[in-house]
Amino acid sequence: MSGWDGFLHGLSVAAQPDVLIYCMFGVLLGTFVGVLPGIGAMATISLLLPITYYLSPEAALVMLAGVYYGSQYGGAVASILLRLPGTPQSAVTTLDGYPLAQQGRAGVALFTSMVSSFAGSMIGIFVLIVLSGALTRAAVAFGAAEYAAMMLLGLVAASTVGAKAPAKGLAMVVLGLILGCVGTDVNSGAQRFTFGQTELMDGINLVALAMGLFGVAEVIANIRKAERTGVPPHVALRDLMPSRAELRRIPFPALRGASLGSFFGALPGTGSTISSFLAYAAERRISRRPEQFGKGAIEGIAGPEAANNSAAISAFVPTLALGIPGDPIMALMLGALVIHGVQPGPLMLEARPDMFWGLIASFGIGNLLLLVLNLPLIGIWVSMLRIPFRWLYPAILIFVCLGVYSVRGASFDIFAVALIGVIGYALMLARFNPALLLLGFVLGPLIETNLRRALLIGRGDPMVFLQRPLAAAFIIAAAGLIVMSLVQVIRRKGTPAEPAS
Amino acid sequence: MFISRRAALLGAAALSLCTPVFAQEASWPSQPQHVYVGFPAGSSPDLLARIVTEPLAEKLGQPFVIENKPGAGGIIGIQQMLNAKDQENSFATTINGPLTTAPRLTPSLGYDVAADIAPVTLIATSPLVLVVAADFTAEDLSGFVEAAGEEPEALAYGSVGQGSGAHLTAELFSDRAGVEMLHIPFTSYAEVTTAIIGHEIDAGFMAPSAAMQYVEAGKLRILGITSQEPFAQAPGVPVMAGQAGLPEDFRAELWNAFIAPADTDPAVIDQLSTDINAILDDETVQQRLLDMGWQAAGGTPEDLEKRIAEDTKVWGSVLDRIDAKD
Repeated sequence: MSGWDGFLHGLSVAAQPDVLIYCMFGVLLGTFVGVLPGIGAMATISLLLPITYYLSPEAALVMLAGVYYGSQYGGAVASILLRLPGTPQSAVTTLDGYPLAQQGRAGVALFTSMVSSFAGSMIGIFVLIVLSGALTRAAVAFGAAEYAAMMLLGLVAASTVGAKAPAKGLAMVVLGLILGCVGTDVNSGAQRFTFGQTELMDGINLVALAMGLFGVAEVIANIRKAERTGVPPHVALRDLMPSRAELRRIPFPALRGASLGSFFGALPGTGSTISSFLAYAAERRISRRPEQFGKGAIEGIAGPEAANNSAAISAFVPTLALGIPGDPIMALMLGALVIHGVQPGPLMLEARPDMFWGLIASFGIGNLLLLVLNLPLIGIWVSMLRIPFRWLYPAILIFVCLGVYSVRGASFDIFAVALIGVIGYALMLARFNPALLLLGFVLGPLIETNLRRALLIGRGDPMVFLQRPLAAAFIIAAAGLIVMSLVQVIRRKGTPAEPAS
Repeated sequence: MFISRRAALLGAAALSLCTPVFAQEASWPSQPQHVYVGFPAGSSPDLLARIVTEPLAEKLGQPFVIENKPGAGGIIGIQQMLNAKDQENSFATTINGPLTTAPRLTPSLGYDVAADIAPVTLIATSPLVLVVAADFTAEDLSGFVEAAGEEPEALAYGSVGQGSGAHLTAELFSDRAGVEMLHIPFTSYAEVTTAIIGHEIDAGFMAPSAAMQYVEAGKLRILGITSQEPFAQAPGVPVMAGQAGLPEDFRAELWNAFIAPADTDPAVIDQLSTDINAILDDETVQQRLLDMGWQAAGGTPEDLEKRIAEDTKVWGSVLDRIDAKD
């Protein structure tokens, strides 16, 4: 069955009334939990998993998948309105979404994020249909050397995200890399920086880190501000719709973001958080107005939001076709498949075409539903800003604690998020960019594990990175980027100092 | 209301008369029971725990709540069971690692297997299979040992982590076969199979369920199995023991067991052990376990205690060998 025939066949599965209803329920629930900071797809899917015993496998999987990609839509809402990322994947969206909201353009930011998310998903689905075979082969061809080299390129490319103060940015990336070292070393099994805490043996919880740095820190910051600012500005209805000029700034960043996202999502272990960072870095790099980034650039929302949504779709490629889950949520989806007697892997396409194509067709339907549901909701989300801070922020803290606890049922993580929140607030006061810390934290362990694995496999010969053509290409690109940055710095020193903006 | 309550009390009294052995335990279980699992919802150990506790709850008339406390290779689940034991009836199901090799590998374990844990029963075992790419040069196990013996580290194998069952089994195999292989740790079987298919590494020991699909798809081959008997889920795969210079008693199995805190009432442990063994005798339960790659096992608390002691010794000697190499 070719991709398109399969997709059409899948539509007939996904359009069955019961599957359709569970799809709708899934995406709605996903949007909702995505909006709530801390509570994300992970917690929701674990809670729903036992209930799916009573559903048909198709309905169950379609619903759980709906929660997953639905949460990607919702995640941006709190990022934009409150500077609290609903999910780690939408942390980057705070950088430009929140400034726009402060300028009274929250509706525009939300519109951009919804439309880009939709575009990203649709492109992701298209890529999945056309290239699922090629992507599967690519994932097998990607060895440790390729991963290490590609992550290095990603780190170099994205390190410039908040490049107002390069030294401060670098400090944050390095701190993230160090925090990423915490836990059991994969190669030796040694405990690093765990201080005898078993809870730290698997590393610092990503959700606790993201919610502490962004969520809790922001709440602390607002305790001080709340007295002064009082009621946020009223948002008029006409401000919800973007102007024609703003509309024109959406398609290309969304397209670029979606391409990046589809690629990275399909590679197991990279996932949507990284792709949203890289999309942001890419947009900033090619933009003719890089100075607008961080102050409310439409491109800074469109690129990352398209990227994380397309990555959420293409992440199903390695999960279904190789049985390799790209992130913990995909691992949970894998478990859900196994519960329902479906063994993901190379035979799934042949053995369970109904399941495979039905699921993919449901992505299309689900995303359409999400767009239709979410656009009218923009006004309602914006009105969230009118909830008095004294109600909103305590509620947010409760959701953060609930969400962090629900990841693995560890009360340790609640104390961790509180401590990280205080640190995050200190960083905020000193004008450090916590997004870069998160980037270092996510990429660091991947680079380290794959670098050491590649060297082990190569019996210690560092040439493995240059002998494998793909790896070599990534290394050369990373070197090129560094040289470019250096040239820029030298040129800037040559010309008279620019007026500080 | 009054009458029915009295009738119920009478009934309970009558029941306890019928079974005098459990007289002092007639009240157990009078409230929900908690079963800690050191792995996330949807994982293989979690599904196994649910397969066993569902009929158990039906039989004993109280819910058995699965508490997923994932992390540290299953250690956190056992720690949490011990933390909770004074507030509730807490039990756990666990894989072998936290009871056998963890005391060696984890300095801050927080529990003493012999002093803090009461074995209840073995639930199921799983052998491992030795897997290579479909186009690997050697035809069979003897050919593999020959290729591995050409020079130290001629072949590289993947495992699911330092000290994991896959790692220790491979080292036990290397020791018994007299070869030296290069260990590449990964974090999941899926990563290991991908690396073998992509020819990054040569081989790996893994659960049959992780390999079978790729074997059917013609991408991987299985050279042997580590159990003493052939395994239903991997039909036609030869037993390794006694082949290619391996001793007749060569055996390496992962297992899953039901345990309780050490100060649990012995009558409760006996009842649980009896009931779980009865559940494991059920053919549908056996089939459900087999579908996931587990062979129903069962046995008395003493059997499990013996198994823990034996495996701690076997894997301890393998760990000695690994330490000596470093």
